[in-house]
Amino acid sequence: MNDKPNSNKTRALQLSDIRKSFGEVDVIHGIDLEIEEGEFIVFVGPSGCGKSTLLRLIAGLDDPTSGDINLNGKRVNNVPASERGLSMVFQSYALYPHMTVGQNLSFGLENLRMDRAEIDKRINDAAKLLQIDHLLGRRPGQLSGGQRQRVAIGRAIVREPVIFLFDEPLSNLDAELRLQMRVEISDLHAKLKNTMIYVTHDQIEAMTMADRIVVLRGGNIEQVGRPLDLYNHPKNKFVAGFLGAPQMNFLEGTLDGNVMSLNCGMVRDVPLAQPGKGAVTLGIRPENIHVDLGGKGDETVTVQNFEQLGAVTYIYATFANGDTLTVQHAHQIPLQKGQELGVSFPTESFHLFGEDGASMELAR
Amino acid sequence: MSRLATFLTRTAGTKDKADSFTIQDFLAYAYLFVGVLVILVPVLWTFFSSIKSDTAVESFDTRLMPMDQISQMVDGVGEKDVWVYTAEDGRTQLVFKAGPTRKLTDVAPVDDPEAVFQVPRKSLTPHEDIRVAVENYLDPILKRNGQDNFHFFTYLYNSVFVTVIATLITLLINAMAAFALSKYRFRGRLTFTILIVATLLIPSSIILVSLFFVVWSFGIFGSLWGVIIPAAATPTGVFLLRQYMLTIPDELLEAARMDAASEWRIFWRIIIPLSLPALSVLAILSVIWRWNDFLWPLIVLISDPAAHTLQLGLTQFAGEFDTNFHYILAMTVVTLIPITLVFVWLQRFITTGIATTGLK
Amino acid sequence: MTPAGFTVAFAALFWGLGGAIWLLMRRRYTHRQIPQFFMDLLGFPVELAQSLFGRAGVPYALLLPNMLIFGFFTFLPMILNFYVSFTGGASISLFDRPWVGWEKYADIFNCENFLSPKSCSNPGYNFWTGMFNTLWFVLIQVPILCVAALITALVVNQNIKGRGFWRAMFFYPVMLSPVVIANIWNWVLHRKGALNASIGEARDAMTGLAGLSGFDMVATVIFAVILLIVSERSLRSNDGPSASWTAVFGALIAMLVYWSQPLSLLGLPGSGWLGLVMAAGLYWAVSTEQSFARMAIIGAGILAVIMLLMIQFDAVFSFGRYRPINWLVTPKTGWPFFWLVFVFCWSHMGFYMLILLAGLQAIPRDLYEAAKMDATKPFRAFYRITLPLVMPTLTVVLVLSLIRSFQIFDEVYLLTGGGPGRETFMVVQNIYEVAFSNDHPDYGQAAAGSILMAIVIAVFTFFQLWLTRRQSDL
Repeated sequence: MNDKPNSNKTRALQLSDIRKSFGEVDVIHGIDLEIEEGEFIVFVGPSGCGKSTLLRLIAGLDDPTSGDINLNGKRVNNVPASERGLSMVFQSYALYPHMTVGQNLSFGLENLRMDRAEIDKRINDAAKLLQIDHLLGRRPGQLSGGQRQRVAIGRAIVREPVIFLFDEPLSNLDAELRLQMRVEISDLHAKLKNTMIYVTHDQIEAMTMADRIVVLRGGNIEQVGRPLDLYNHPKNKFVAGFLGAPQMNFLEGTLDGNVMSLNCGMVRDVPLAQPGKGAVTLGIRPENIHVDLGGKGDETVTVQNFEQLGAVTYIYATFANGDTLTVQHAHQIPLQKGQELGVSFPTESFHLFGEDGASMELAR
Repeated sequence: MSRLATFLTRTAGTKDKADSFTIQDFLAYAYLFVGVLVILVPVLWTFFSSIKSDTAVESFDTRLMPMDQISQMVDGVGEKDVWVYTAEDGRTQLVFKAGPTRKLTDVAPVDDPEAVFQVPRKSLTPHEDIRVAVENYLDPILKRNGQDNFHFFTYLYNSVFVTVIATLITLLINAMAAFALSKYRFRGRLTFTILIVATLLIPSSIILVSLFFVVWSFGIFGSLWGVIIPAAATPTGVFLLRQYMLTIPDELLEAARMDAASEWRIFWRIIIPLSLPALSVLAILSVIWRWNDFLWPLIVLISDPAAHTLQLGLTQFAGEFDTNFHYILAMTVVTLIPITLVFVWLQRFITTGIATTGLK
Repeated sequence: MTPAGFTVAFAALFWGLGGAIWLLMRRRYTHRQIPQFFMDLLGFPVELAQSLFGRAGVPYALLLPNMLIFGFFTFLPMILNFYVSFTGGASISLFDRPWVGWEKYADIFNCENFLSPKSCSNPGYNFWTGMFNTLWFVLIQVPILCVAALITALVVNQNIKGRGFWRAMFFYPVMLSPVVIANIWNWVLHRKGALNASIGEARDAMTGLAGLSGFDMVATVIFAVILLIVSERSLRSNDGPSASWTAVFGALIAMLVYWSQPLSLLGLPGSGWLGLVMAAGLYWAVSTEQSFARMAIIGAGILAVIMLLMIQFDAVFSFGRYRPINWLVTPKTGWPFFWLVFVFCWSHMGFYMLILLAGLQAIPRDLYEAAKMDATKPFRAFYRITLPLVMPTLTVVLVLSLIRSFQIFDEVYLLTGGGPGRETFMVVQNIYEVAFSNDHPDYGQAAAGSILMAIVIAVFTFFQLWLTRRQSDL
């Protein structure tokens, strides 16, 4: 293990072959993951993918069925939650409703038999940092959603943990507050420089906050990487579809050598690194499709519906065979339902997925 | 269809129309009024009777006010009851009886004891005024006037001791069991739950005889602990608290675990304060049960008068003095006063609490 | 020192001293944390379980005290009951009791005719008298209690003023102890008590009134006016007669029929039932919206007028002298039993009313609003919405009140003592007297009785749950 001070990165957390089953149901199917100190990691995936379970295993609230959890190089499988030196912000905040904000913050420290002076100092520091020092005497019931969120984070901070765990902390806030808290948590990470593990089902949160994203599905890791790497080079169809809004367009077809013929009628040469044969899916993000108002372009589609947002325009269209296509256009354009529209597909923004959903490498 | 049905189905707060007093309103209020009369009149009647003098109680005086015949010192004769003599012409005069009561009775005016004259018995009525007979209460409590069989303070102490200790134990162990059943997954949880349901369905009176053997073997027969311990674990309490604790989010417990709290500390720092509403309902129920308990204390404590509770003492007292109604009534009122005060003080809380936490 | 005392002392030492040492070795407490220390000490066994077995051991430690008490004071006696019922003698020591087999049961079943307890042996007579009385009591008591509780809950659930007050008033008797209740009602029902006094006074007043000249005519006119108003009211609305006014009208008709005794014209005695049948028929016709309802009311009105002319009011209201009844003591009148049922209802109704009220309040108001939008008639709404939705609660109330009334003891023992004769002698009193208030306690006999009673209760409860199996949420 790397214990040297000032080494550029140490491994804060290491998961090897973690499995978890509740009775007959397997929830986590063997996960390996390494997280470095100071990283902001986001676990993202659809509901039921096991991301919260994984977080609870790390926290020590549940025990893994098999596999090892190493914290700073020490195996902590049998260490109770309270002694792992982690702290967690819960989805419902889990503030003790019968205690004041100050008591909420100090409860954990009192349990650790800390000196009162030290407790007060930590609480004051955290309260200042989060601008909740005027709320210390209030009860959680008297606070707004955003204030409760801050208190929950404050409770995590005062413990001065090795790793912060966040379990969908923003899902109970309205859109505006969510945006604000997103920025604040990112700032906090910049200030504290602790390792943070953040669970969410919202890919925007993942994209905006993470140093690295872990995409989970059905108890397996689909892909790990920096946000834009995942966006630009998804390893499979699931990751491609999960990240990005509106979702990537998927068009079915067949491949013969380098020639791709899609069900919608489009036939294109694609520069495949390894030409093949069989079923294929073309993935293309809505913002990469160009609109030709003149009706020309590579293909012609029929506009079914559209949303004019001012800065952008979303167009929902269909091909002649009924395949649907979403187009994001960066300007305002005059449109009518039922209108025919020419669209062009630049080859350099193609993503091709084979029958198994895995990404096929393109020679660029 | 019908208005009666409207009445039957209308719920609280629904204003069908802003119309005036209808027949169903009338029927509803009439029902409630009669119902409350039936409930209150006997209690109030007992109370009003308990402050009447012994002669009034003995003669079953049915007037509401506590009327008592005045007696007065008459010069040269002594203390005499005063009567009002109504002459045939309607004039009245205060007299006392100077001889035995016959059809024609010898009476004399109070202010002139020598002037004896004869009047028909029917023209005499007692001269009365309102007097609250405090002695009905004070005699047995202070053991005056030969009333030394009702050890009020002993009984009160025993009743309070049983009620308070049993309630505290009930609250603690029921809350512990409810916490285990509601917040832990463990082998045997279902078995334990079923066992507790089973005790809910075992009526206490069918195990009387064998419970007597068990309590006797434990050596607590005849002592107050013999009443406290067997009743301390109530299935009702476990269920009531379990139901409530299920509504406490698990995340709070997990947050506390992350905060390095031991399970016991989670119990009394998080679970107990958050279950206070349900705990107070159980506390009130337990106080009512223990305070009013009769059959089991009767079996366990009857042989030792020093261990009698208020209920037992009152029963014994009522049995011994078949005629001293005035004392019995006064002691009945004394026994019902604490629970009535608790009720008046907490009635809204009790009724809504029991209603919302559901089952007995 | 008894073994129990020794055990208690040892446990106290282990808990208090051992716990304190254990805690102080592991944790530091400042002087401000002394209460915390004592709470930790109280939960020392739980803390110990957690440190020895981890979190998995905690629930068992938490359940232990409760289950110990259940085990020793509920389950153990339940099992011991069987053993005791097979033993004889008066010894309190469990191992000193001779085994007698089925003798105690045989004594109870030693009857020539099982429907007549008098033909049984002595224990059998006592037991079966108690059992039959209890069964009677339950059969009469439970429906009355439940209906009264449901009606009261429905009324209190109305949009009326002072709901909290009414609800509290009906609940108040639940808080009173049986001894207090018995003393109160003894005082009211005494031969010279308040009830007899007020009945006597009311009768005297009516008799006096009936003696006034012209009373007959005045009463006839007043009744005619009332009849007119009520029948007009019940016929007033356009969409069928009003059921609540019809109920009042029916009550009037029943009274008139009772007073006028129309069947005596045919030489038949007692016409009271006829009035009740007419009233019930009218109410049925109106509430189910029969097409002839309006005609029926008009017909009944005409009939009522004819009957009204037949009534001699000064005879009806002349009662003569009232002879006070000793309500709780007079044998062969049924009054002691009646008052037992009444007092039991009086003291327990409030509790079941509260449960039902909670059930009623759990019915979403939207349902009634939706029903109103669907033009559902209120009566239909009661039968199709209120009743089905309150049914689970009603089932709970039925089962609870059944188990409760089966065990009736306190009220009987204190009010009538089982008398007069054996009219109100209940089965629990039999068990109590056989085992505890007898010079020669026969614990085996009492235990056998308990087991038979348990069987009867179980059969009843399951039968009831089976009847209402779809609604039950027990």
